[in-house]
Amino acid sequence: MKNRLKLLRVERGWTQEQLGQALGVSRQAVNALETEKHDPSLDLAYRIAVLFARPVEEIFDNPHA
Amino acid sequence: MLAFGKSTSSAHKRYAIRTIAFMSGYVAVNVAAIFGAFDDITSPVAAWGLALTVSAPVIGQIWATLSLMRESDEFVRAVVAKQFILASGLAMAVASVWGFGESYAAAPHIPAWMIYPLFWGCFGLIAPFVKSSN
Repeated sequence: MKNRLKLLRVERGWTQEQLGQALGVSRQAVNALETEKHDPSLDLAYRIAVLFARPVEEIFDNPHA
Repeated sequence: MLAFGKSTSSAHKRYAIRTIAFMSGYVAVNVAAIFGAFDDITSPVAAWGLALTVSAPVIGQIWATLSLMRESDEFVRAVVAKQFILASGLAMAVASVWGFGESYAAAPHIPAWMIYPLFWGCFGLIAPFVKSSN
């Protein structure tokens, strides 16, 4: 799923490891999200949205829209 | 808002420790069997007890793998589950072909417990090609 996760992370100067710790997932999971190898669960998508204070659809493109 | 959740590295550490523990038990029981520690067993109940004892570390290792999935984050869980399912399917397919080969084509008999190393062989073949949860 296309997303702006890497852009948002880099804007804040965070590493994948730091973002993973903030979200409670592994660095591998963050890398998989950024490289579109993993579509997040609704729970994780909402956690990411809360962390970056943005609506989910501003971070993840809705493939059905 | 920094929430620290389950760490995959700690899940992998627990998996490694459990694997070493179970495989050590497996090796210990089999070495004891090779050196004749169970040669005096004659009753069927004791023989089945021995079979269960040798199988216990294998069952434990399967539990350790399922625990790794449970304790990991959603991405690692999904990837390991995919690898596990594909390896199980491939191992069952190979075992079925060989089993019918024994029935119909005089293939030499292979003990059923070989499904376990066969599964991990299949897992090792499949894992490098399954890196996505999608």
